[in-house]
Amino acid sequence: MTGEASKAQDIFQDTLREAAFLAANGEPPADRYWFFREARWRCLDVVAHGVQPEYGANESTEVSPRAPEQIEQLEPEQLAVWISAAPEPQRSALALYYLDEFNYREMMSMLGLKLTEFSRAIASGRREFQAWLNATVPAAASE
Amino acid sequence: MKRLSRGLRTLADCAPIANAKAPDRRMRTAVSRAKRTEDFAAQQSFDRAVAKLVQATPVSTEIQEWFANERMAEGAKRSWKKTALHPAILAIGIALLVIAVVAWIKFDEQMHAFPGTGTAKKLLNVAAMTRPSEFEPMQTEAGTLNDLFFMKYRLEHYDVPPGFSQQRTIGVRVFDDDEAGQVAQISLAEKRMQLFLFPARRDSKSGKPEEFEGWRYIEQEGWTGAVQARKGVLFMAAVRGPKKDLAPYLSKPKE
Repeated sequence: MTGEASKAQDIFQDTLREAAFLAANGEPPADRYWFFREARWRCLDVVAHGVQPEYGANESTEVSPRAPEQIEQLEPEQLAVWISAAPEPQRSALALYYLDEFNYREMMSMLGLKLTEFSRAIASGRREFQAWLNATVPAAASE
Repeated sequence: MKRLSRGLRTLADCAPIANAKAPDRRMRTAVSRAKRTEDFAAQQSFDRAVAKLVQATPVSTEIQEWFANERMAEGAKRSWKKTALHPAILAIGIALLVIAVVAWIKFDEQMHAFPGTGTAKKLLNVAAMTRPSEFEPMQTEAGTLNDLFFMKYRLEHYDVPPGFSQQRTIGVRVFDDDEAGQVAQISLAEKRMQLFLFPARRDSKSGKPEEFEGWRYIEQEGWTGAVQARKGVLFMAAVRGPKKDLAPYLSKPKE
């Protein structure tokens, strides 16, 4: 979400502190979604105060059957940077989706998105990431 | 995937990465149909590869220490007591209670309403606002005033019921009211009680006076009225105070 491990760590700690503070006041977070919602808003706040990526019309292409091989050549940080540069709400949708922790209804509820919006964010994210992969890991793509 | 309907394609685009997680039948249907297409297999492989990469994201030891107990992120379930005492729930509860009370009061009013309730309530206000100087002084028994009303004002059947007929009056007046028509108002010495006689409301179809059996009570701003209908005329005894102040004077109507 932030593209930087140090910022993510600060947000993680702030979120847990907030949860502990609420629990100490007798109002502990009602469910696990609270942590993700809270962390998401904190991420958006931090990103809004940082350097903003330039959003343009990203190239996109159909998902390739060779994509897993391309992805294997990436570092997790590269994926994190790519996702953090995506516009909202696509960034949050991709981050939650690839955490592989929630079903689509839970994610729609956490993000406040309709099914079509959520689905479009994921599908277009996939195609744009494939285009980026083809540009970044061309050797595998060209095979 | 293009062969799928738009709804199923929308669902298949955000299909669970792990098969076991499909939360509902629609999603299971979408996944099952999408599996017959080639590009869905590519999508699933793509998603699994990305998810695997996400899982491989290094986590600092500091975060691992903070997150030693993963169950803490499950949150705490509220007890029903705590839920009930939540300000929003309390506010809704109080609002519903107020609505229920108001509805009950309205229902109770309707249950005890009688033809002429509105006029009687208006005359209770008149009773509260009439000064003694507005009455024509008249010291006699209330039961004898029917002759005066008939002879002087041509008001038929303006009879004071037996329970009040022995009471000493201190003043009388007759006035016209827009709603009630010709109203006779009698001031009594006892308990500063006031008696009203006014025409009963008439049925719009038959033109007959709308009457009812027995005594009906109305209350307004500290005043209580007991109303009875007889021969097309409503009689109301009004007193500043509760019902029990009037109860001893009310006789049952003769069968």
